[in-house]
Amino acid sequence: MSLTAFIGAMELGLVYSLLAFGTYISFRILKVADLTVDGSFVLGAAASAMLTFEGMPVVGIVAALTLGAIAGVITALLQTKMGIQPILAGILTMTGLYSINLMVMGGKANIPLLNKTNIFTYAENFGGRTYKIIVLTAIITVVFIILNWFFRTLLGLSLRATGDNEDMCRASSINTDSVKVVGFALSNSIVALSGALVAQMQQSADVNMGSGMVVISFASLIIGSVIIKDNNITMGLLSVVIGSIIYRLIIALILTTNFPPSYLKLISAIVVITALSLPNLKRKMEINRMGRGRKYAKNQLS
Amino acid sequence: MLRINSVNKTFNKNSLDEYAALNNINLHISQGEFVTIIGGNGAGKSTLFNAISGSILCDSGEIILGDEDITYMPEHKRASFIGRIFQDPMKGTAPNMTVGENLIISYMRSTNRNVIGVPSKKEKDYIREHLSSLNLGLENRMKTKIGLLSGGQRQAVTLVMATLVKPKLLLLDEHTAALDPVSAKTVTEITKKIVSENNITTLMITHNISSALDMGTRTIMMDSGRIVMDLKGEERKKATVQSLLAKFN
Repeated sequence: MSLTAFIGAMELGLVYSLLAFGTYISFRILKVADLTVDGSFVLGAAASAMLTFEGMPVVGIVAALTLGAIAGVITALLQTKMGIQPILAGILTMTGLYSINLMVMGGKANIPLLNKTNIFTYAENFGGRTYKIIVLTAIITVVFIILNWFFRTLLGLSLRATGDNEDMCRASSINTDSVKVVGFALSNSIVALSGALVAQMQQSADVNMGSGMVVISFASLIIGSVIIKDNNITMGLLSVVIGSIIYRLIIALILTTNFPPSYLKLISAIVVITALSLPNLKRKMEINRMGRGRKYAKNQLS
Repeated sequence: MLRINSVNKTFNKNSLDEYAALNNINLHISQGEFVTIIGGNGAGKSTLFNAISGSILCDSGEIILGDEDITYMPEHKRASFIGRIFQDPMKGTAPNMTVGENLIISYMRSTNRNVIGVPSKKEKDYIREHLSSLNLGLENRMKTKIGLLSGGQRQAVTLVMATLVKPKLLLLDEHTAALDPVSAKTVTEITKKIVSENNITTLMITHNISSALDMGTRTIMMDSGRIVMDLKGEERKKATVQSLLAKFN
């Protein structure tokens, strides 16, 4: 792998680790696969692209954070107040967001941002080849510190408990509905931040750039959890960053071969399926093996 | 302290399966009383607890705790002053969080803290001290995931969680029934200790008639949604397991 490819993979790994932070909150902590992500990622990218186009990249990031949070609130309200199944609630918000995203992008499916000032250009002068990595690392460090602190506060602990045991939460006078609203808002806000940064980094936003983001982020979560097994919050968040970077390095390696890039999403899906089903398959195989052993012993006895 | 006035609850109203789980219940409990509740399955014991804690709303009647009418207060609001422990040790704690984190949540909830507050060193020490008073050595396992503890240990932690800040009312729903005899005994002893030391008004459902008489200051028996017997004072001292069993039939 060339240095350029390696730096590119690092950049992608870092920027998508924010996406994985978002799904870490919904999937690992609240234990809900939140499909809003595919939409809120583009929402962040769209808002950020439009404002970067107008010369306000930082405002674009702030707008993305806010809009992402709103998308999360809607999904959470569909689940809690309207009683819609979690997965369906996410799909509904995601579907609705497609139109909203187009609207934000002024009806255009693609916003090119070539030669526009973005938040990475500020670091261009002193960062050398790794200037994007420097900016991204700084942002991720800030998000990491905030999340790590948040999950030790009463609200953060309540959020974790809500995903872990809802009965216990009600008995501890936690309003699980409100806690879920906060959780999904936070999750989608960070996802939108990821989208916003991707748009500025790649100097374009596309209305279809969000498809498959859920699966990609799950792949990162899973790779991360294989490498760091300890699942307290600090280690969990760290594993997310590492997982995301490794995922991108693997993809970069695959791209150095003649393998057609169009298969990448299929590979991501297979990675996630394998990782999620492995524990189950292992157990089934063990039961089968024990069963065979017993049959064998019986035959020997008779 | 707790006044339950003519409370009714009927399930499956206007159908063949209609049955009155609570049938005009009147119960007055004074501050510091420890009431044990016995009765067969379907007698309405758990429904009574559900009505008090708010997991179900009663059809009619009123429930007053202290000076406050809590009949229609949402469950999670009541939970800040009513502690409840279930039969299933898995129900009261978050298994993937540590012993310390579980205790911190319930402590900070009952002290009505700022939602983005973090516990101070002093409060953490207070919680640890409380835990060490159980003499189970759990204070050295604050960082252990609670799912790794045994059922008895989990139930003991749940008891501490419910009483870190003294609740106005403690509801124990057969909280030792799922435990082995040794753990059940330990948890029973801890219950007695915590309740008497803090003088907590307590209601306890049990299927063990001897512990119903042994623990607490008053015993009531329920049947078909009614309170059919209410023993306290001298009368209760004279009662035996046999005399109560006779009433069961």
